[in-house]
Amino acid sequence: MNDPAVRRVLAAFLLVCAVAIFAAIVAARNTSRAAATSDWVNHTHAVINEVEGIYSSVRVGEAALRAYVATGSATDRGAAREAFEEMSEHIELAKALTRQEPAQSEQVLAIAKMTSGRDELANSVLAAARSNSLESARALMARDDGLAVAAEIRRAVGKLRDDEMALLADRDTRAYLQAHTTRWIVWSGVALNFLLLAGAAWLIRDDLAARRRATAVLEEANARLETKVRERTAELSSANEQLSADNLERRWANEALEHQVHYSDLIISSVNDAVLVLTKALNISRINPAVVRLTGFEAPQLVNRPLRSIVTLRSQDAVAPAELVDPVVQALREGRDLRDLPAVVQDKLGRKTAVHCTVFPMRDRDKVIGGIVILRTASPT
Amino acid sequence: MSHHILIVDDEAPIREMLKLALTKQGYRVTTASSTAEAGKVVKDDPPQLVITDLQLEDSDGMGLIARLKAAQPQLPVILLTGVLFDQQVVEETFADKISVYLHKTSPLSTIVREVKRCLDR
Repeated sequence: MNDPAVRRVLAAFLLVCAVAIFAAIVAARNTSRAAATSDWVNHTHAVINEVEGIYSSVRVGEAALRAYVATGSATDRGAAREAFEEMSEHIELAKALTRQEPAQSEQVLAIAKMTSGRDELANSVLAAARSNSLESARALMARDDGLAVAAEIRRAVGKLRDDEMALLADRDTRAYLQAHTTRWIVWSGVALNFLLLAGAAWLIRDDLAARRRATAVLEEANARLETKVRERTAELSSANEQLSADNLERRWANEALEHQVHYSDLIISSVNDAVLVLTKALNISRINPAVVRLTGFEAPQLVNRPLRSIVTLRSQDAVAPAELVDPVVQALREGRDLRDLPAVVQDKLGRKTAVHCTVFPMRDRDKVIGGIVILRTASPT
Repeated sequence: MSHHILIVDDEAPIREMLKLALTKQGYRVTTASSTAEAGKVVKDDPPQLVITDLQLEDSDGMGLIARLKAAQPQLPVILLTGVLFDQQVVEETFADKISVYLHKTSPLSTIVREVKRCLDR
């Protein structure tokens, strides 16, 4: 129910239902009114029939009464009595029929009043004929102005009939208008319902189209997203592979470097003569295990100490010991080797060992950055 | 079917890293830590290329290369060693024995490229 389209369609259908119910109510009311109108038409005709019956009975009764007075026939007497009785019945029925209608009831009462004189006359004539003789009855009849009274009754009956017919015509007109209005309302309701149903169909179609568009947009967005995800995944995979390759390359470089350092160290360590690496200032920067064996000093005790602290160069003529520094400095400055110079090494315990000292300048490209000293124990003579 | 490469080196990390790098390139790689082990591999599953170190625990890499070449003269061999040789030494001494000389400080990408070059010949 949160969907606006569903709410709109539901509202349209509710409106259709409301219009249909309204049209049905109007139609039912009209049907009811049509039935009431039919009843009223029958009622009107019944009233007209009864008042006309009054006039007719009066005329028949008076004619029979006159015939009886003229002939003395029992048949005419019976016919006269019967006609006036019918007149009374018509009056009572007319009264009953117009009881709910004051104007008509008043007219009926007026007619009844006029006919009551005729009824009294008939009773008097018949009574006179029965008790005295027909002559006295004829005398009563001769004195009566029957034609004038009959004309008055006829006018009253005619007026009542005309009024009833006018009322009937008026009600027919209203009934026709009512039916026309009802027909208009029903057809308008049907047309409106068709319009509403068309509107609801349009809303549904519009909503379906919107949903299809939204679905298409969503599918397109999903496809784009999937493509991006695939591209990104491929990029990440590629980056990951590259990272892995770089990592392996770094591990390889480290391993190769370590291997190379180890190999270089192995070469120096494997030399059985004492090998010392000197800085340009003739301080010891590195030794091999043979130096430790020769001097008794460990590497930490020798590194950064001057070479002369353990090695003393002897002069060629062996008269006086010469400082090793000067010839070594000279050789390194000139970039030349010193080979097998006699020298003395003093160990940790102060013992001295005669050695042959060889010095090689250590070159890095075209510069001398230090020296390599090799001390070879002199053979005992 | 992928090429079969035999790696002979007495250092396990070197063997494993080389194997990983070449396997990623789609090669089938077997490793051996000695010439004896390498001989068995060559006998059971002859490789299309051999990468060997020079200084091994049980023998000389060049001896292994000589034996391999005697049995399979066209077998490409890459000498991968920590021993630095001058280009002149390589050309005059090893030219007829090995296809490529590479120092162990060479990048892996260079080694892989040389492997491809040897196998594509």
